[in-house]
Amino acid sequence: MSDPLILAVPSKGRLMEQTAEFFAKAGLVLRKTGSERGYRGEIAGLDNVEVAFISSSEIAANLKSGRAHMGITGEDLIREQVSDAAERVEFLAPLGFGRADVVVAVPRCWIDVRTMADLDEIAVSFRRAHGRWYRVATKYLNLTRRFFAEKGVADYRIVESLGATEGTPAAGTAELIVDITTTGATLAANGLRVLDDGLILKSEANLIASNAASWGPAAEAARRAIMARLAP
Amino acid sequence: MAAETARQFEALEAQARKIMFVFLNAGYEAVAPAIIQPAGVFLDAIGEELRARTYVFTDPDGHELCLRPDLTVPTCRLHLERNSGGKLPAKYCYNGAAFRFQAQSADKAHPREFRQAGIEAFGGSDRERAEAETMALVVEALKAAGLRSMKLRLGDLGLFRAILKAADMPPRWRQRLADQFWHHDEFHAELKRLATDPASTSRRIPKALAGALDPGKPEEAEQRLAEYLEREGIELIGVRGASEIAASLLARLADARSAPLAPAIVAAIERYVAVRAPARIAAERVKEIVREAGIDIGEALAAFERRLELLDKAGVEVETAEFSAEFGRALEYYTGFVFEVVAPGLGRLSPVAGGGRYDRLMKSVGAPDDVPAVGAAIHTERLLAAVTGEIL
Repeated sequence: MSDPLILAVPSKGRLMEQTAEFFAKAGLVLRKTGSERGYRGEIAGLDNVEVAFISSSEIAANLKSGRAHMGITGEDLIREQVSDAAERVEFLAPLGFGRADVVVAVPRCWIDVRTMADLDEIAVSFRRAHGRWYRVATKYLNLTRRFFAEKGVADYRIVESLGATEGTPAAGTAELIVDITTTGATLAANGLRVLDDGLILKSEANLIASNAASWGPAAEAARRAIMARLAP
Repeated sequence: MAAETARQFEALEAQARKIMFVFLNAGYEAVAPAIIQPAGVFLDAIGEELRARTYVFTDPDGHELCLRPDLTVPTCRLHLERNSGGKLPAKYCYNGAAFRFQAQSADKAHPREFRQAGIEAFGGSDRERAEAETMALVVEALKAAGLRSMKLRLGDLGLFRAILKAADMPPRWRQRLADQFWHHDEFHAELKRLATDPASTSRRIPKALAGALDPGKPEEAEQRLAEYLEREGIELIGVRGASEIAASLLARLADARSAPLAPAIVAAIERYVAVRAPARIAAERVKEIVREAGIDIGEALAAFERRLELLDKAGVEVETAEFSAEFGRALEYYTGFVFEVVAPGLGRLSPVAGGGRYDRLMKSVGAPDDVPAVGAAIHTERLLAAVTGEIL
């Protein structure tokens, strides 16, 4: 028998619960093998599937490299971490949870900046006044660069931010941000507003297959079995 | 192909000796600026596009550093360090590695580690002479390295600035068009907006605020904005203060009251940016365009023609050099004359050398004022491939 299918699922938090519920609804019960604290599991009644519980931020990398055959993660993380996503992975199904919008947000007091074009327009005067480009705090370096380039905004500088990104403009470590938001409440609480055309991506959790993984007969069969249960 | 084999390494070294011989003979001092550069200074000077291709890392002390993506900025920093203010004239040459991330799809003409051989001249007072000398010296070095045939491309941001200055329009429109010149689509969109509907951006200002602001009374604007923010419960956060935001709003309201850009001026600007012709013919065409638009850019044209004469005298084949008005090279730090050398077989996207004037770069790396500066660099791996006939 060839190698089994490796299914990467989030190892903790709300995303793990929702993933388990999603599979359970289709009659696929995820359960851990060995210790309850371990990171290995299986799907009850399905052969040739090995479940890997990993941190959701690492699932994209596992799909990209082909270490996992299938996985569940946010589209935002795939688009950010896999530059050639169209070739490396296949989006099989949006799952309806883990919804978040990746947006460009500026201080509400920037009354003159409503659109990306406005943002571009103030770039040079900002630099003249402050001796540097304005800074965009984000963990989405690639999504930001791609979106800004598409919108013709070139004069800025990214500062990488791995947490509490919404606080950076008020703290003075960045002028604006690119981050995820669900209701916009956190942005508003930090004195920020989303640009009118500042929606970069409407993201949600997706079931994704890796094109980089080696798909032997066992893995192929397992994939067909899972997909048949999910979409009868 | 960053000198992966001993033979390539030796070939590159031998070629570098020929190039550096030319530079040193012309009185340029050989320098070796640091490979590892502080990321902040460097990245503020070059913009995010090149930053995305720069290897940036944090050292164990938490300092953000980078591998230099070119040698011009490091040489500027070296010059600034040697004489504070960077005002004294100096001429430097170098041959060293530069690093740029390349997508996996990149071809061999775009290695992530490559060696640049180049020259930088600071503080020269005769502008056209310094520019012609830089280009002529690079062409001489390319020939010394064995490049038999080359195609030259020229640009001159000074001509464009002169047209903007001579054309009748509010100063802030000049500034905006000059700022947007680098971004082809945005530039044309802005030109169209000013010609048809300069009021468009003012319509996005909330009515209550627009009514309170008076472009005739700029001294009151900051106060009016502060009152508006207070009423709306909007907190002022960040370094961009009320005076800056108010000035930007006032400019928009002033736009709304300005007459659209005259059709003759729009036509002249559009015809100018479309000019692409052998250099001398281009000069004639530009003369015709400005004459028909009734604007005078005599000084900038004289500088352009004088530079061509100086290049001609220095042995550069200007007759076949192509002038392109939109040619400004991808790096935004150039401020005037720009040039590029393309070798047969390598194509326009992989020039073997390029350079130009960058009067504002010294200030952006820390000098108190702008310093006149001209420089150019040779992409030595591409040159070697072009000379040996190896197809990259």
